[in-house]
Amino acid sequence: MSTATGTRTIPYIAACTEALRQLLREDPDVFLAGEDVAGYGSVFGYTRGLLKEFGPKRVFDTPISEEGIVGLGVGSAACGLRPIIDIMFMDFIGECMDEIVNQMAKMRYMFGGKAKLPVTVCTMAGAGINLAAQHSQSLESWLCHVPGLKVVMPATAYDAKGLLIAAVHDDNPVFVIFNKRMLGVMGEVPEEMYEVPLGQARIARAGTNFTIVATGRMLPEAMEAADTLASGGLDVEVIDPRTLQPFDTETVVNSVKKTHRALVVHEAVRFGGLGAEIAAQLQEEAFDYLDAPIGRVGAPFSPVPFSPALEKLYVPDAAKITAEVQRIVGKAG
Amino acid sequence: MDIPKAKLLDLHERMVRIRVFEEEAGKLMESARIPGALHLYVGEEAVASGVMCNLTDEDQITSTHRGHGHLVAKGGDFKKMYAELFGRATGYCNGKGGSMHISDMDLGMLGANGIVSAGPPIAMGAAFADKYKENGSVAVAFFGDGASNEGAFHEAANMAATWKLPLILLCENNGYGEFTPQARHQAVKDVADRAIGYGMPGAVVDGMDAIAVYEAAGEAIARARRGEGPTLLECKTYRFYDHVGIRGMGVSYRTDDEVLEWRKRDPIQLLEQRLTEAGVATTAELAAVHERTRAEALDAIKFAEESPFPEPDELLRDVYYVKA
Amino acid sequence: MPAGPVGIIANPASGKDIRRVVARASTFDNQEKRNIVRRAIAGAIAAGATEFRYLPDGYGIVSEAAEESAADASFAPVESPGTASALDTIRAARQMHELGCSVVLTLGGDGTNRAVALGWRDAPVVPISTGTNNVFPRMIEATVAGAAAGLIASGAVALHEVSSVAKLVHAEIAGERDDLALIDAVLLGDLFVGARAIWDSTRLRLAVMTRAEPAAVGVSALGGLLCPVSSTDDHALSLTFGGEAFVVAPIAPGLYQDVPVKTARLLPLGEWVSLEGPGVLAFDGERERVLKPGQEAQLRVLRDGPRVVDIERALQLAACRGVFRGGAIEVGHGD
Repeated sequence: MSTATGTRTIPYIAACTEALRQLLREDPDVFLAGEDVAGYGSVFGYTRGLLKEFGPKRVFDTPISEEGIVGLGVGSAACGLRPIIDIMFMDFIGECMDEIVNQMAKMRYMFGGKAKLPVTVCTMAGAGINLAAQHSQSLESWLCHVPGLKVVMPATAYDAKGLLIAAVHDDNPVFVIFNKRMLGVMGEVPEEMYEVPLGQARIARAGTNFTIVATGRMLPEAMEAADTLASGGLDVEVIDPRTLQPFDTETVVNSVKKTHRALVVHEAVRFGGLGAEIAAQLQEEAFDYLDAPIGRVGAPFSPVPFSPALEKLYVPDAAKITAEVQRIVGKAG
Repeated sequence: MDIPKAKLLDLHERMVRIRVFEEEAGKLMESARIPGALHLYVGEEAVASGVMCNLTDEDQITSTHRGHGHLVAKGGDFKKMYAELFGRATGYCNGKGGSMHISDMDLGMLGANGIVSAGPPIAMGAAFADKYKENGSVAVAFFGDGASNEGAFHEAANMAATWKLPLILLCENNGYGEFTPQARHQAVKDVADRAIGYGMPGAVVDGMDAIAVYEAAGEAIARARRGEGPTLLECKTYRFYDHVGIRGMGVSYRTDDEVLEWRKRDPIQLLEQRLTEAGVATTAELAAVHERTRAEALDAIKFAEESPFPEPDELLRDVYYVKA
Repeated sequence: MPAGPVGIIANPASGKDIRRVVARASTFDNQEKRNIVRRAIAGAIAAGATEFRYLPDGYGIVSEAAEESAADASFAPVESPGTASALDTIRAARQMHELGCSVVLTLGGDGTNRAVALGWRDAPVVPISTGTNNVFPRMIEATVAGAAAGLIASGAVALHEVSSVAKLVHAEIAGERDDLALIDAVLLGDLFVGARAIWDSTRLRLAVMTRAEPAAVGVSALGGLLCPVSSTDDHALSLTFGGEAFVVAPIAPGLYQDVPVKTARLLPLGEWVSLEGPGVLAFDGERERVLKPGQEAQLRVLRDGPRVVDIERALQLAACRGVFRGGAIEVGHGD
């Protein structure tokens, strides 16, 4: 559906492809490299067609060598290019953590500000499609813990395009963490290039007496929970941080000052997850406004199981979120 | 090969600059005038100098934890280097990198590196950028025999060969991975043998002979500039000092005889002997290079020691690039 | 009756120099050399050798193969200074002579065999090629080369029956020690030994070669493509370089250059060729000796070098003598 302003309703995956296409068109220093991103168009299909349009100099397949791929990004960015590199599954960052943590993240600081690393790393997180323990994780808190990296996690088609464009335009290393279960989610996306500014949360649903902070694939679950809770008379505000590092503490704090209760939801394992950091910041900045302990919903402390029966228990959903909100509200009650 | 006299003297001067810089740096460390630990390049001067005489500021290198020599040979400024070792604001990295992260992006020196074998993937990326921009530049990754056992080296070598990148994988084989002798850390003695497995040429060169390194590196670099792809060049060399500092931690892991045998082939003495015999320079002319370099080093140390420490606000500066 | 142990000299450094970069030379990795030594030892033992003396190299090229065959033969290393240079080979060859080795298996190129000759001028050799410029050693399967060596060591075949004496270039350098080349001695317009190999033919000034082989690579090929001289010819060839006329020759493996040749002359054995520095003398493809300005040197060729085993001839004799036969097998002649 096209509108007069050039906004259409397209899937998340198409928004990603469109962003990549526009970025490649815009700047000859941008290139796209990763495992099977060219000939095959990525195993998720989000780079399909780009090789044909831009040719093998700018869109190319790499060997299965994650550390080399990140090295390619670091070295070429340090020499003036603007690489977009793809790490197929987020789980694979275990293969390249040195280049990420010790090189990419620190080079600018270690060199006294003389290096600039405009490199974007796209990767795919998330469980729920029976890919088991090594192809399903959400490891964003690893990255958020490392000074020098920026991390975004788009939860809508609009943000997928806008955050990806902002990430590539940024002169710092930025991780763009997509979610494989969101690729088909439809959303309104403008045709033209636009940026969703890094470090700005979005109030996905305005509310007055409870705050849910939900990242990535947990956003639609939180929205569904909010609908359920609304019928019970609870007016829930849902915030999508969009950027996890740097984190928009202000938007979340302002919301909690208004609602006095909060729950943080992410798909990653709860222990040591980003929710712990957000909860800690809230109690530091808004302790006097809180009427109840801050809740956290995340995956249990186990690897992601394969069996659909177990995986269903593993991944947080609207029902769990609803139950946790009700528990907190009851406690506050 | 016809090597112009100016190039021979340049080669010599770079080696002397490394030697003098490192001797003075070693003294600073062992007298605790500077913080932290240093990995000194003494003994390996022919390698960095022989390679760098073939490069320009537009060519990139990645270095190692033993990185001062590479920066000196690439044209590094003594004052900024010593100031960095002292952790001062006037240092190359504003005092925030130190010995193991010393770098000069303007000279194409993409950093010493505290992580063994982290350099080859970065140099591979730099070589990719050179090829992408068609600028005729090359990248050189310096690494050791120990680093050649890391997966990062393997990934970088394979990618460079697959894509025919203008990369030189320059192995400084000094016979030890930290304190472990080569025979106990790899089954091949010539790291260059591994080139076959990557589909690139590999060659071994005497790393104590500056002219041999200069010639061999020159050929590999010229090949890369012609677009013919990467080369694995292995220089057999030796560190005259310990892994860390001059005397190290006093733990014996190699024999005095071995050290003495290698010291007989001091690369600077070897070159000076050749230059004087060939009538390229007189002993007095060569000695003058040592003297003026020593004076420059002492002057730079004075500058460094008198320089201020970084201000507290430097702590959080440059974690990220911020648009002005 | 056994004639003496088999010596084995495998040069770990052969087949590794810069000609892999400037030309298209093969890399002989040390694992391949180990395999070659294993095969040669197997051949030698099958032909009756029981004792081996070898140059230890720190790379385990021979010692690993020796360990595998320890039940079938005895192996002992000679002493090595461990310089990882030609000096190790020179010393090893000298000791093999003193130890009464009946034959020496060499793995390397022309340079390796030259080092053997420097240690033992008329060494009996079975040279297997693992080098870059290989005029002297044979490109032959190591198993049968080893068998030929084993036949001589066991006494099944006598050295004089199957060997011929190679020519040598003798170099006398004013005020310094003498030197040798098996194939060619070349004066280059260089100042330094540098990376040793020769790949820039514009630096050539003069050459004297024992053999000018049109089917070889290197300076010998350059002479051979102009005026062939074989190992059996009782003369040598000298060339001077420069001028307009040239020979298209493979100066290194896969690297052809138009080499300007001024003069070519068949050189009788024993006749001196004089030359003068500055320059660098290269022997058998490697820059070795620096000549100072005005320093004189002279070269001549004599037939007084290593005794080279003819591998095919040795195995033919072995066949005639039934060395490899057990029991009576009749060989019929037609129907």
